Amino acid sequence: MATQHSRAAARLMISPAVLLLLAWMIVPLAMTLYFSTLRYNLLMPGANPFVGWENYHYFLTDPAFTTALVNTLLLVGGVLVITVVGGILLGLLLDQPFWGQGIVRILVIAPFFVMPTVSALVWKNMFMNPVNGLFAYLFKAVGLQPFDFLAQAPLASIILIVSWQWLPFATLILLTALQSLDSEQLEAAEMDGAGFFSKFFFIMLPHLARAITVVILIQTIFLLSIFAEILVTTNGGPGLASTNLTYLVYAQSLLQFDVGLGSAGGIVAVILANIVAIFLMRMIGKNLDA
Amino acid sequence: MARAVSTQRKALVTVVAWVIGIVIFFPILWTILTSFKTEAEAIASPPSFLFFDWTTENYGEVQARSDYFRHFWNSVIISVGSTVLGLIIAVPAAWAMAFVPGKRTKDVLMWMLSTKMLPPVGVLIPIYLLFRDTGLLDTRIGLVGVLTLINLPIIVWMLYTYFKEIPGEILEACRMDGAMLKEEILYILTPMAVPGIASTLLLNVILAWNEAFWTLNLTAAKAAPLTAFIASYSSPEGLFYAKLSAASTMAIAPILILGWFSQKQLVRGLTFGAVK
Repeated sequence: MATQHSRAAARLMISPAVLLLLAWMIVPLAMTLYFSTLRYNLLMPGANPFVGWENYHYFLTDPAFTTALVNTLLLVGGVLVITVVGGILLGLLLDQPFWGQGIVRILVIAPFFVMPTVSALVWKNMFMNPVNGLFAYLFKAVGLQPFDFLAQAPLASIILIVSWQWLPFATLILLTALQSLDSEQLEAAEMDGAGFFSKFFFIMLPHLARAITVVILIQTIFLLSIFAEILVTTNGGPGLASTNLTYLVYAQSLLQFDVGLGSAGGIVAVILANIVAIFLMRMIGKNLDA
Repeated sequence: MARAVSTQRKALVTVVAWVIGIVIFFPILWTILTSFKTEAEAIASPPSFLFFDWTTENYGEVQARSDYFRHFWNSVIISVGSTVLGLIIAVPAAWAMAFVPGKRTKDVLMWMLSTKMLPPVGVLIPIYLLFRDTGLLDTRIGLVGVLTLINLPIIVWMLYTYFKEIPGEILEACRMDGAMLKEEILYILTPMAVPGIASTLLLNVILAWNEAFWTLNLTAAKAAPLTAFIASYSSPEGLFYAKLSAASTMAIAPILILGWFSQKQLVRGLTFGAVK
């Protein structure tokens, strides 16, 4: 039984972590909130007058915001669809008995450990480059014009790169979940004459629901703040074609030194992330208790 | 349990799985192969796959030109430093939450997870300005601090799920035997907790090693880890494929090897214990 004494000790042990995280959340966030109400540009020293909602008005009515918002949603959505569907299919495949399972697993997981700047640069130069890239060579080999991926379809190319990085994660988690499925249930279903599709939809998919929720939650956290891949491959361009919210705020604050506007953008990004987070926490809360 | 599987079917699955595995792994394989080519062979058309003159001169040149080892050392200090610091803060917290759960323990855990959802751009500007004004910009100590805070929720969660599995009865039994808190921690808990702490350490070193928002925005030259080292190859130099490949291979090799060892812990660590 926990005594009064151990309760107090426990509180003491938890408090450093809680206080640090609280400070990490509140202090910078409060500063961002404060900066967002000022006309504050690092290139123009002097007084930083209070301007109220001006930065927000400017940020939200700027067409760049709508573009970045749409790009963010496309990026997150696209990668989620590819990795979840791909992860289920790969999980089903790797769950079958075959020769060299361990080695194939290692091969499939590897991209997850590649740092974002490396995978972006390797894909950009060695695969997607329209002159020397391997894709250009393959296109020419079958008689097609080489395609300049990052100039013609920048967002789709980035979705491809990011999906390659996250597919291993989804596969690994869904495979682990599939392996915990009771095989007797499947055998019983087979005896009752269930085919592959009814087994998949009525037994496997419900069993995977929790793992899929977790994959979506965790990937969304990371995917909302994709940055390095865009910085290294396209710098958000051409134009704004591959600018997401994170990159837009970065460009406005650290490239154009507009602290006020960048801060307003940061706050907008926080609010949007919170909307997503509420949905996801509700989902995961439901699934985790079960 | 074991269901009869025909050899034909097994052979078919083997072929399909291997083909897919190699396709997924191919970009990494291609990078490693290219790093051993000369620049001319690296962009040769048609590309040569295995039959070229293997050379290791790219590795020497990358080290000479952009000082790989300094960046490597920065990466080691930043990732290991932030993980160890995070563990020092998180072990007591996770221990207390697992063994002396209060009414609000679950809420605290959920709240910690929610801090992870704060997008980094939301706090980029204040952190950048604070770092600039306190001279922390482009220092390893500054990055260690930021990455500790970023990964703290994951470290607490992971440790919590591991500690939760240590049966509470053991603790009660040794308390009955008159063990003091110090002895309880030293002789009972530590040996049982070490595997969990070790896998937490491993996974967080990997996450910190690959972190590429703060490391790119808060460093310039002195404290730049390997993520920034590679990003510096993004323009003109990026056209030297063999050298780019050598630099990339050196940047990912240590973590690739660590990662393969940690694949089992990876699942439970990254899913906050929800999938095991």
